[in-house]
Amino acid sequence: MRTERVSGVALALLAAAVLEECWRLRLPLGTLANPGPAYMPALLAAALLVSGVLIVALGRDAATLGAAGWAEWRHTAAILGACAFVALALERLGYRLTMALACAFLLSVVERKGLVPTALFAAGMAAGTHYLFDTVLRVQLPRGLFGF
Amino acid sequence: MTRRRVLAAAAALALVLPLVAGAQEPYPSRPITLVAPFPPGGVADLTARPVAAAMEKVLKNPVAVVNKTGAAGAVGMQFVATSKPDGYTLLLALSSISIIPEADKIFGRPPAFTVDQFAPIALISADPTILVVRTESPWKTAREFLDDARKRSGQISYSSSGIYGTLHMAMELLSHAAGVKLRHIPTAGAGPALTALLGGHVDALASGPAVILPHIKAGKLRALAGWGDKRVAALPEVPTFKELGYPEAEFYIWAGVFAPKGTPEPVLAKLRETTRAAVGDAEFKSAMDKLETPITFKQGDEFQRFFDTDARRLTEGVRKVGRVEDKK
Amino acid sequence: MLETLGNLGLGFSVALSPPILFYAFVGCLVGTLVGVLPGVGPLAGISLLLPATFGLDATRAIVMLAGIYYGAMYGGSTTSILMRIPGEAASVMTCIDGYAMARKGRGGAALAIAGVGSYIAGTVSVIGLMLLAPPLAAFALRFGPPEYLALLLLGLLVLAYMRSGSMVKSLAMAAFGLLLGMVGIDQMSGYFRFAYGVVELGDGLGVVPVAVGLFGVAEILATAGQLAPPSVIRPKLRELLPSRQEWRESAAPIGRGTVLGFLIGILPGSAHIISSFVSYAVEKRLSKHREQFGHGAVAGVAGPESANNAAASGAMVPMLALGVPSGPIPAVMLAALMVHGVSPGPLLIQQQPALFWGFIASMYVGNVVLLILNLPLVGLFVNILRVPYPYLYPAILVFSILGVYAVNGSVVDVWIMVIMGVLGWLLRKLDFETAPIVLGVVLAPMIELSLRQSLAMSDGRYGIFVQRPIAAVLLAVGVTLVLLNLYSFARRGSDWRTRIALAEKGEESP
Repeated sequence: MRTERVSGVALALLAAAVLEECWRLRLPLGTLANPGPAYMPALLAAALLVSGVLIVALGRDAATLGAAGWAEWRHTAAILGACAFVALALERLGYRLTMALACAFLLSVVERKGLVPTALFAAGMAAGTHYLFDTVLRVQLPRGLFGF
Repeated sequence: MTRRRVLAAAAALALVLPLVAGAQEPYPSRPITLVAPFPPGGVADLTARPVAAAMEKVLKNPVAVVNKTGAAGAVGMQFVATSKPDGYTLLLALSSISIIPEADKIFGRPPAFTVDQFAPIALISADPTILVVRTESPWKTAREFLDDARKRSGQISYSSSGIYGTLHMAMELLSHAAGVKLRHIPTAGAGPALTALLGGHVDALASGPAVILPHIKAGKLRALAGWGDKRVAALPEVPTFKELGYPEAEFYIWAGVFAPKGTPEPVLAKLRETTRAAVGDAEFKSAMDKLETPITFKQGDEFQRFFDTDARRLTEGVRKVGRVEDKK
Repeated sequence: MLETLGNLGLGFSVALSPPILFYAFVGCLVGTLVGVLPGVGPLAGISLLLPATFGLDATRAIVMLAGIYYGAMYGGSTTSILMRIPGEAASVMTCIDGYAMARKGRGGAALAIAGVGSYIAGTVSVIGLMLLAPPLAAFALRFGPPEYLALLLLGLLVLAYMRSGSMVKSLAMAAFGLLLGMVGIDQMSGYFRFAYGVVELGDGLGVVPVAVGLFGVAEILATAGQLAPPSVIRPKLRELLPSRQEWRESAAPIGRGTVLGFLIGILPGSAHIISSFVSYAVEKRLSKHREQFGHGAVAGVAGPESANNAAASGAMVPMLALGVPSGPIPAVMLAALMVHGVSPGPLLIQQQPALFWGFIASMYVGNVVLLILNLPLVGLFVNILRVPYPYLYPAILVFSILGVYAVNGSVVDVWIMVIMGVLGWLLRKLDFETAPIVLGVVLAPMIELSLRQSLAMSDGRYGIFVQRPIAAVLLAVGVTLVLLNLYSFARRGSDWRTRIALAEKGEESP
């Protein structure tokens, strides 16, 4: 599995998805004199398709997928999980609680720091940034279930 | 065992008590949010802030303006339509509230919200749009403009703030009423629409009066006619399309306060009272004066009638426009 | 000339009066803070503080808002250089070479060059604003859809100069970015494209979540898990300032960036981010050490940073001279003026000389204030790099999420940032460039709209592009550039297959 083959195929699939969406929404193509909403997306999808094919064709001696270096994937997945959690919980649990939990997770579970630094950091980060934005800059940050 | 039960009961009580207490709190007891569905600096926003400030004074309770922008106002409107009808989330809507669901319908999309998800509280302002052209243009009166438009069907262009937007719909109503065909050039907002006219890239524009008054005074633009019921106070020599014989060309960019449907009646009544008092506030009046937006206050049945007529005009107009791509 | 000096005197007397000075200072401070925070850019900052200005008089309000505006342009370079996170969308280009310089231990120098470049650009462009506002504004008005299209197509050519690797891959990323820019309501027909029922996507993905995700979050995802964490850089005081060589290398880019940024900024509807992209491409094209770009070229920091500051002043030209907003930020400032009963219009300069000249003078003062504010802070900021990475990156994530959320108050933006973060990480693994995507997201809606508007204006005839003088000139320039490139490409004379293979491996640059 070479990297270029994967990328090329992915691009081609993306192009196909775009065209499929245009078809599903029945976006009018229009004419050259009067391009419709599907005109440029279709052109770009065609360009993507062509580049995908070219990348596959020209990348025959590319590195294998494994060689790209995926050693940190567990770490990456954990961070992504934390971010997804924040996105889901932000408006339900409220800003401070969500951020504190996310920081605590990142520091204690992912980075394996001790309990005290984690607690200090998480609480400090959540409260500090909340103060900065909510009070000083007057951005409304969501307050969730528990008033946090 | 007994201790645990006592603790459990105490905990349950502690959780229930605030809810019970909350149910009996007088309205309002928390800050109220007035959602302005347009970006800061836009018409809805500039009207929302004095309204919120005045309401705050009357209610003696904080009223904060929150901008929820996106999709020509649909995001903010959908947000309020789906929020809890407890009177703490209100909407300052523009005339687009009737347009957006209709536009969704003709495209076969599930509507972002529907008009009956809202309970109207009050109308605050209703600016008629004005037809402007550059002073160098050959048309000195609206009649000359319309006659020329009839002769050269589809040749005269106008800009707008976006398809199905307020500036577009105003022109569409005129086109249908006067039987002319104009060429529509949508732009990405009211600012670019004005720029396009000033730069000579389009021939005409329907605009709210406040934005174009300085340009008229400076001699760059000429106002031909207005879409209102009466002449605009700041432009007394500009006739209305009604006077010129096109009564169906009536359009206002209006702003009104709405609450989600299902808000309890006593809360609605209190809000109506508040808005009535708010528009009488001296600071509010001076703020609106500075914006060159006259206050048109309507409530209850009067507002309902105004809103229904306006909504019917607009939805019919949107339906007549249809899907522009299909007509090409 | 004498009259101008006299007016300037009036302006300075207004600007240097303590209350105005105070508000300018507050604006600059808040602007720097807002600029440093990832994602939160000048528009968010101005919108947030707009209500606070309602209680002030017109001059104070606009002076403060303007301070926030160009202050954010100064501050935006800080996180870009130190952590590869764009402080605001326009600082994306600074991320590339600025961060590379920081990795080499030259972070302090990069910050200083960015600061000085911003100061020079800001001051020179204010002079331009002062002397040339009305004629420049009249010129800017003549840019209609056909001219925009020609200009933006030139901007697309810029993409070709941004590649440091495979050409096909860069073009693929550009196409991808352009496609991403098509998400949302189509202004010409009213169709919702690629929004999958999410109303918040109606205005498109938004360049802020995309930029912060592709650059900031992706950087964290790639670096955090490394077995050897990034070495903590402990810069010595001496190393904080740029060397003489670095100053020399930055002089010309600052000059070019200023002019380019100012000219692009005055055009209504153009974005600052375009000015920094174009400056980067120009610097890369003109540089004698092209291979340094992407690995810490001084010109890659000096040019774009100057360009985006100059664009900020340039954006005020149509606003002050004509009362026409050239973008969302001047629109908010115009609204602030309207709220105070000042009707912005063509007669503003005549009717409100104290306001106009006071504003101009406060911009001079503001730029000085910002320079004084930013230079000592360089030492402070560089110390942020000393924080151990396991503590640093959660903090960065918190600020990024916060910044992205704060712009619209929408969790959808946070999701976009996360998804773009994953994408950015994957693309790095697969050896693709991510900067063209951001440019594509910005350019796509403008290009498509300009094209269809032009065709609507001309009733479907493509001749409009050559009939209008400015558009024709711009297109001619573009065509010439393309031909020049093809010519030098062909002149090397090798077999075309070898050429593409060589270009593939990034060993060629025409």
